[in-house]
Amino acid sequence: MAQDVRTPITQAMQEGALTRRELKALMVRSDRPALIRVAGFGLALAVTSGLIWLAWESWLIWPAMFLQGVLIVHLFSLQHECVHYTAFKTRRLNDVFGNLCGYAIILPFQQFRYEHCNHHTYTQLKGRDPELIELPISVWTYLWYISSVPYWRNKFSQIARNASGRLNDEDRSFLSRHEAPVIIREARLMVAFYAVVLLVAVAMGWTWPLWFWILPLFLGEPVMRAIRLTEHVGRPNVDDMKENTRTSLVTRPMQFLCWNMNYHAEHHYAASVPFHALPALHEKLRGYVYVEKRGYLGAHLDILAQLVGRKPRSDAPKPAG
Amino acid sequence: MSPRDRTWVDLIAVADLEPGDATPVTLGTRELAVFDAKDGIFVSMARCTHGAANLCDGHFDGTFIECPLHQGLFDVRDGSARAAPARVPLRMLDARVENGMVQVLI
Repeated sequence: MAQDVRTPITQAMQEGALTRRELKALMVRSDRPALIRVAGFGLALAVTSGLIWLAWESWLIWPAMFLQGVLIVHLFSLQHECVHYTAFKTRRLNDVFGNLCGYAIILPFQQFRYEHCNHHTYTQLKGRDPELIELPISVWTYLWYISSVPYWRNKFSQIARNASGRLNDEDRSFLSRHEAPVIIREARLMVAFYAVVLLVAVAMGWTWPLWFWILPLFLGEPVMRAIRLTEHVGRPNVDDMKENTRTSLVTRPMQFLCWNMNYHAEHHYAASVPFHALPALHEKLRGYVYVEKRGYLGAHLDILAQLVGRKPRSDAPKPAG
Repeated sequence: MSPRDRTWVDLIAVADLEPGDATPVTLGTRELAVFDAKDGIFVSMARCTHGAANLCDGHFDGTFIECPLHQGLFDVRDGSARAAPARVPLRMLDARVENGMVQVLI
């Protein structure tokens, strides 16, 4: 068995930031908020799909596809919520939506779940956090990350590796012998699904999956990469949730899109608290977590200031003594 | 120790339990979780068998306790692991209520 751990929420309760009864009230699960948000996403996707259709013969199809892509990549936020089994009341519904989102954004649900477990255990610790994004060494590498080229290269090679049953050392750091077959089977199913979609599209002469799904996904991914950068990048690589994670205060439309995951430090404090209760948890933990009041833009300004030398780098070794 | 040598020990007053929830209790060096469940009072070791987080800080729906760290799931009635990444069952302690006190057999 693993060594006993003190989770951030245990620490917060021991330090009096909130009580068990307050936490229990925040952890209550419900289908309603997620179903309303899913309906909102469906409506928004219908609008952006309409824009693509209207712009079919024009260059405007590219901005329309970008808008569609921004919505599609935010299915990651729902999938992430499902990984924690907090989006919906029942595990089954979380599994269903988590897998649907995974197929839409090419991110295997179970693979992400197991990887994400270690991300929560070892947040920001180099060599242990499988989702750690290093503070870029330059503005160029920062832009290269946002371009999503490294992300897709890593994602496709991961799926190919899993599908072929060849796990690498990093995979084995978060997968036991019980879990490895699950993610290998999952990757094979995913590859089979995309192969069938491709074959059917070619056989039927369909190009719409490309224009309404795949191209928007690739166009929108840089937005998600930019958002993911704000969560931990530029924060210290230390085992302290008050320091290693950044909450960004963003507009309500953005909160809708990202399923309140801008309250990222609060989420790391209590991953069992559903997205719809994170604003209330934010109020409870006010002054207890690191907050970027200028929002995502402010987080990027903070990162860039570190890259150009206007601020000490968060990954710089601490002076002795 | 033979089963005959085991004895019932007071753990916590029922009135001090978090109603319908998990309550952390220490007995000597043991960290225990007392569950005021739909089907009665149950007591287990408090640490998740997967990531070793204290289960008393997780979501409890009256039957299943969810680990606060990785959301592994256990049935508090028998300790069985019901959802990944938890695989090893929780160690349960025999428990009863006597004169308003939760007791465990140790």
